[in-house]
Amino acid sequence: MVDKIKVENLSCYYNKKCVLESLSINVIQNEILSIIGPSNSGKTTFLRTLNRMNDLDSIHSRKGEVYLDNNSIFDMDMEDLRRRIGMLFAMPTPLPMSIYENIVYAPKRLGLISKKPEQDALVVRALKDASLWNEVKDRLKSSAMEMSGGQQQRLCIARILAINPEVILFDEPCSGLDPISTAKIEESMIELKRKYTMVLVTNNVKQASRVSDRTAFFLMGKIIEIDTTDKMFVSPKERQTEDYITGRFG
Amino acid sequence: MIRLSPKLSQKFSYLILFLATTLAITPVIVIIFIIVKNGMSVINWEFLASMPKNGMRDGGVLPAIVGTFVIVTCTIILTLPTGLCAAIYLNEYARDNIFARVIKLGILNLAGVPSVVYGLFGFGIFVMFLKLGVSIIAGALTLSIMELPVIITTSRNALNSVPYSFREASWALGVSRWQTIRHIVLPNALPGIMTGAVLSIARISGETAPILFTAAAFYVPHLPHSIFDQVMTLPYHLYIISTQIPNMPNNIIFGTALILLVMVLAISFVAIFVRIYFRKHRKW
Repeated sequence: MVDKIKVENLSCYYNKKCVLESLSINVIQNEILSIIGPSNSGKTTFLRTLNRMNDLDSIHSRKGEVYLDNNSIFDMDMEDLRRRIGMLFAMPTPLPMSIYENIVYAPKRLGLISKKPEQDALVVRALKDASLWNEVKDRLKSSAMEMSGGQQQRLCIARILAINPEVILFDEPCSGLDPISTAKIEESMIELKRKYTMVLVTNNVKQASRVSDRTAFFLMGKIIEIDTTDKMFVSPKERQTEDYITGRFG
Repeated sequence: MIRLSPKLSQKFSYLILFLATTLAITPVIVIIFIIVKNGMSVINWEFLASMPKNGMRDGGVLPAIVGTFVIVTCTIILTLPTGLCAAIYLNEYARDNIFARVIKLGILNLAGVPSVVYGLFGFGIFVMFLKLGVSIIAGALTLSIMELPVIITTSRNALNSVPYSFREASWALGVSRWQTIRHIVLPNALPGIMTGAVLSIARISGETAPILFTAAAFYVPHLPHSIFDQVMTLPYHLYIISTQIPNMPNNIIFGTALILLVMVLAISFVAIFVRIYFRKHRKW
């Protein structure tokens, strides 16, 4: 078991207010790590630190280190890092262009592909991997903004897969979706586990238990417990974890 | 105090609001009516396409139309790229610090400076100091400085109207900030930027004070040969023929005003159509 991401003593602040306190955690290669916890527990901040989306926020500051394959992510070029660590947002964020263009947009900008046949092949592969191909194969040229929310979210997954990252971060990816769309996204995630390492932030405790290998419980910017999902949901060590999982608070 | 019944007060308020609206639009209609009524008789091809004759009491307004067109074109060529770049910097790159705030405040205040002050400034800097003389280029530079804050403000609004989530989505895919601006933000902000630019054109076509000392000529017997020539312009020509020339036929004055009015209105309508077109075709 190889550590893909290693976080050491990470603290994050917004306007000097501490939102993550000396956090140490690792993400193992090809696992799905779920992060659960109530609002304000620092889950999203943690996730956005991993691909440095926080860096553009002028009121944000941090201490500590994060390593990707033993290299500090803070020494890396920001664009290279984000190419290696993709991110799916809570709300679907299709770009205002066609389905086809949404997928080839980043690879074209990054210079990964150029020729038309390559692009076509990439679109097919990405859409199939995100299990969206059958639904949209006849309307690749139509606007992505006209798709349903669930389809848009899967398109965003396809878009991430097209740049072939190593890690994918999911920030409450199903919070705005119906149960069927949620199930489809969860299916894709399990399918993708073979190739990618994934971190899933979710408000839905059941979702964590369904898809993840390990689960971490965050509370007030601290990590309370981390264990394999089976153990965590059957016999949590901490009282607070048990209360949260069973729905007694949060 | 009299207490009106809810129904009556509703009717009363409606009446006041409606009257205020009518009052606001009445002068415009009256102006257009008077100008059209008095000026329509002189409008023909010859008036549009010939030089003034007989101490401007006869003939056409061609050099003034050409002059206005040239000066406005030069101005927009100077202003739009500069203003757009500044807007991109302020909106997409500048951090929220003292420096940026001072610049933003400065831009807002510059938009409120009276146009005659710009005229004097342009005369001092471009005509005298840089020795450009009274010329198209000096006038265009003066108008540019005046219009820059407006272009920056409208462009910034257009950039701001592109949802932040588009930028984040693009950054999260490893696309650089500049590429995001170039391929996501700018194409989607373009309608707003264009509308702002066209309205600016309409505004500067009617400006007199900034070009009074920097570009405008009382009378030039030929069309401009280069950007270092003086020119006649419609607003200045209108000012001259209505105040400086005795026994000026009234219908020529109103005819000139009509042409200026039609020009400005036509440009504004272009802006409105651009906006309607893009709003219909907007993708989000």
